[in-house]
Amino acid sequence: MLGKLLKYDLKWVYKNVVVLYILAIVFSLLSRITKNVESSVLFSVITIVLVISAIFMAVASLVFCLRNLWFRFLKNCYQDESYLTHTLPVKKKKIYDAKAITAIVAMFTTIVVILISLFICFYSKANLENIKEALEIAATVSDTTVVSILFLMFLVFVTEMIFIVFIGYSAMILGHRFNQNKIVKSIMIGIGLYFITQIFSIILVFLVGALNPDIMNFINTDEIVPTSIIKKIMYAGTGLYIFYTLFYYLLGKICFEKGVNVD
Amino acid sequence: MELLECKHLCKKFDDKQILNDINITIPRGKIIGLLGKNGTGKTTLIKLINDLLTPTSGEVLINGKKPGIASKKVISYLPERTYLDKEMTIDEVLKYFEEFYDNFDIERAKKLLKDLNLNIDTHISKMSKGMQEKLQLILVMSRDAELYILDEPLGGVDPATRDYILDTILSNFNEGASVLISTHLISDIERILDEVIFINEGKIVINSSADELRNKENASIDEIFRRYFKC
Repeated sequence: MLGKLLKYDLKWVYKNVVVLYILAIVFSLLSRITKNVESSVLFSVITIVLVISAIFMAVASLVFCLRNLWFRFLKNCYQDESYLTHTLPVKKKKIYDAKAITAIVAMFTTIVVILISLFICFYSKANLENIKEALEIAATVSDTTVVSILFLMFLVFVTEMIFIVFIGYSAMILGHRFNQNKIVKSIMIGIGLYFITQIFSIILVFLVGALNPDIMNFINTDEIVPTSIIKKIMYAGTGLYIFYTLFYYLLGKICFEKGVNVD
Repeated sequence: MELLECKHLCKKFDDKQILNDINITIPRGKIIGLLGKNGTGKTTLIKLINDLLTPTSGEVLINGKKPGIASKKVISYLPERTYLDKEMTIDEVLKYFEEFYDNFDIERAKKLLKDLNLNIDTHISKMSKGMQEKLQLILVMSRDAELYILDEPLGGVDPATRDYILDTILSNFNEGASVLISTHLISDIERILDEVIFINEGKIVINSSADELRNKENASIDEIFRRYFKC
């Protein structure tokens, strides 16, 4: 049943996002072509327009993906379509898991498409050397490898986007437990949860700083800190985002399983 | 074991008591009318049975179990609103129902759709409201369920369509199954009812066999309803 639910959720979420993926890649490819065709003012302008269009499409795909994920959850679980969703012979946790897996897959593919699009737009030997140099410095400073740095950056970006989706899901679930002004309350709860999470992160950093003088130094001063501290902060930050993502996944799932209050 | 039981069922929204100590049983093989004016709690009761709301207190039991996967397999529910994804075509919706409901008879559904001259490649968004309602009714009645729950199936449709709806219900529901129809248009469905439940201000006020009630009051169900709910 989970597979069947996933199929319909993914199909719905991707329906207009795939068009944006295609446009982002096409504009990126066209910008490469125009860059290499002729060096004239006209072609430079066309190239710039194509690059801007490619970036715009890539960003739009992220925005629409997020919008589709939230909208699908709302329509399917709390509006008219919920009369069908919640009367299917399927456990509530499977309905929620299908939405969660859809979010992970959709966000992952969207970010991959954005990276591919940017790579096509901006690739050149000179640019590659500059990026490689910057990454090597970062790797040296944090006592790790370039591959680790790239992997962590990708992981943090994907996790942060999924974390935002799951906050939205949790906010809708909690907001719809009320009987009035459900949408307004869902938005307010979502904003509140996001800020509470950020405040919690800041408090956590200061608590850790209270126990570890090197970390407190890093927060309070401009002094160069040991590379081991940078590495710890990098891994701890990534771990924290993964923890938040799991927390909001579980919060949403537990509350969803308790039952719905459909209009 | 009764098909459906509601025991001391209550539902409150904020401070407003919508259902108050509802106790009913639905036997097998009957057509039951859940009758009441607008806003008396019919839809709330139906939503509680279908696990779309959680009770404030009391319980709903279907074949002795609380609403869940087992009950959803045996209940075929027609809500009073369009619940289909309007971006789907009729063919996609048929496949959706076939995938999720083991007891969905797709051939029966296609035959009923053919009678309406509906092309299965039509998008639901391109259909009129009346056609969407007929499509939903066909989907619901094409399941071999034990309990069909139809919430206001006759509301907002013309008399010819009402006859079509009633004929579709009568000719397609599973033998031995029960049908619970909620409506305030009594005269149209009176002829098919075995039992009637009158609900007023969230309470059950009459729960009787239709014939017994007619004999006792010496009037039609419609007249009894008008008398009872006179403003």
